[in-house]
Amino acid sequence: MTGAPAAGPGPAQLSVEDVTTQLREQAYLADRGLATVIAVSLSLGKPLLLEGEAGVGKTECAKVLAKALDTRLIRLQCYEGIDVAHALYDWNYARQMLYIRTLEAADAAAPDAVDDVFGRAFLVRRPLLDAIDRDDPTAPVLLIDEIDRADDEFEAFLLELLSDFQVTIPEIGTLQARRRPIVVLTSNRTRDLHDALKRRCIYHWIGYPELARELEIVRARVPDAPERLAAEAAAFVAGLRGTDLSKAPGIAETLDWVQALLSLGEHELDEALVDATLGTVLKYHEDIERIRGRGLGDLVAHSRREAAALASRT
Amino acid sequence: MSAGDDQHRAAGDQLLRKLATFGRILREAGVDVAPHRLQDALAALAAVDVTSREECYWALRCTLTSRLEHGEVFDAAFAAFWERRAPDIALLERAPATRPGTEPATPDAAEGRHPQLADEEGDDDGESMQGMAWSAVERLRTLNFAEYTEEELHRSRLLVERLARTLPMRRSRRLRSAHDGDRIDKRRTLRGAMRTEGYPIVRLYRRRRLVPRKLLFMIDISGSMEPYARAMLMFLQAAVRPGAKVEAFTFGTRLTRVTRELARHEPDQALRAATRVVPDWAGGTRIGEAVKALNDHWEWRGATRGAVVVVVSDGWERGEVELLSDEMARLHRAAHTVVWVNPLAGEPGYEPLAQGMAAALPHVDHFLPGHDLRSLEELAGVLESLSDDRIARMRAPAVGTSSRSA
Repeated sequence: MTGAPAAGPGPAQLSVEDVTTQLREQAYLADRGLATVIAVSLSLGKPLLLEGEAGVGKTECAKVLAKALDTRLIRLQCYEGIDVAHALYDWNYARQMLYIRTLEAADAAAPDAVDDVFGRAFLVRRPLLDAIDRDDPTAPVLLIDEIDRADDEFEAFLLELLSDFQVTIPEIGTLQARRRPIVVLTSNRTRDLHDALKRRCIYHWIGYPELARELEIVRARVPDAPERLAAEAAAFVAGLRGTDLSKAPGIAETLDWVQALLSLGEHELDEALVDATLGTVLKYHEDIERIRGRGLGDLVAHSRREAAALASRT
Repeated sequence: MSAGDDQHRAAGDQLLRKLATFGRILREAGVDVAPHRLQDALAALAAVDVTSREECYWALRCTLTSRLEHGEVFDAAFAAFWERRAPDIALLERAPATRPGTEPATPDAAEGRHPQLADEEGDDDGESMQGMAWSAVERLRTLNFAEYTEEELHRSRLLVERLARTLPMRRSRRLRSAHDGDRIDKRRTLRGAMRTEGYPIVRLYRRRRLVPRKLLFMIDISGSMEPYARAMLMFLQAAVRPGAKVEAFTFGTRLTRVTRELARHEPDQALRAATRVVPDWAGGTRIGEAVKALNDHWEWRGATRGAVVVVVSDGWERGEVELLSDEMARLHRAAHTVVWVNPLAGEPGYEPLAQGMAAALPHVDHFLPGHDLRSLEELAGVLESLSDDRIARMRAPAVGTSSRSA
């Protein structure tokens, strides 16, 4: 933070309340914990590291945050083998070749042709450079998605970038972010991240929501779904999470499922329907077999009771 | 008015001091709180509504911890320190070294347990197995570092280093420049072309880099396996280091991840951490459940996918044999290679009579003995040979391990 660039402190200080409301307006229901952590991250101007099981809304959180702050979202999807040429910048080689040929044809080999060839016109801007070298009125949200998929070298490079938001392109010079982007990193924990990176971030683990909250999320995201269908589906998925599965379904699966059931024109769950659509929720053959073996009828009955109990409470 | 400022500052100082104490409590409980995190925590408190317990809790938690596993410890410390509730001593004693989702550690560890507990595993045909186990145990006993002869000590050190150095390799998606590469390095070629008036006469190449393949060890630490487990953990210690992509787990009745302890060069602590969370030592081994736990919690994280998995166990299954068979099949599907090291297999005339071993064998690519130094050398040799075929071929003449190269 010392020697920070002329970048502003980020967006105006937002209270936890503000964050909750603004995200809610974008149909994203953050609980108190997540809202607090976002407020802290914005206020401290530090990257936010979100970890959690797949499908709990980590990526969505960053997307929605950009919308709520009415700013641009820049997304860098990490994968094995990602390097500076993919993440930061590269040169447009074909264009460079063409330019050199043109110069040659015109017989105009000016002494500064080389400078031209390695000028901004031939630079291919990748997400990280985009996040730094930009004249937006507001700081963009930079989403570095699934950082755990990149390798250690890339993590080290990122660490450096996140500490001072400046990059040096030998041919052009040093570029400094005018506005520090709001950085959100997500990780599925396929491996442990380096402690040095974690220490630089505000950390939050997003868990599965409680049934009532998940139902609220379903209502917000699939507003057309019949209430009873939404409640029963949410209760069914919540029940699945408690059982012994290779891969428990996330909120994303609940939403997909409700959407699928809605498109089938259904109003409530029944055994045959669940049996036919189980593949939307469970993605491993063994899991599907295991749940079928347990008796779908019982599970459906149970989720009906849960849904009814929830309805009577509210 | 300045008195008010002073008061304000004094309150701030007091808060900082309190925070520092809180940080120390967390550190003692095993949460690695770096000093500058306290500054963050203070700034975070300023950003939230301090009259709200929940907001303060999250503001401190997101700045002071960076690991889900530390959540429980943090909760206990938070309750004890800021709310003066009686702390859960067991939790504060040490951060659990387990993977997420395991129940909290039971503090009443069977510290003083002894390999003789294996006696309680006495089934009918267990007798003969026991006999074999014991002679093998006795032999390995002499492998205790304290009792090594000079020559053995030297040999074992070399072996440890070899094991650590020769992790199986695979080709990465990341490219590096190489003159015998198979893809044009556009950046460097074009740069070179500047020298030849824009004609890319000298072409430069890149090829896929070699990276270590993921290597995952699962070590049985149930009573009868204890002496072997200790030796294996010692060897593992050399292999587990940052960037080496080695994961280590122990299991008895439950799976425990010990990679972190080993990375910190604390093999004894790793063993203790593992044994601490095993509630019933005498209960024997539940290999099937341990493999299942590995599949359930680590497969989708990619720990087993494409990995070389080494199971070290005598195959003496106490749980359901069908479960072991199913889960080994699942593990085998995800993994690149499954190696099973069985200390008993070194016995002359050994046959995989243990039901568990027989059930697991169809899903094992390499079955090796693991009772003495020589067998560990053999293991290192197998791991070395598991590199991608092409790499192995490239490497063979240089290293001279393959008979073909002679």
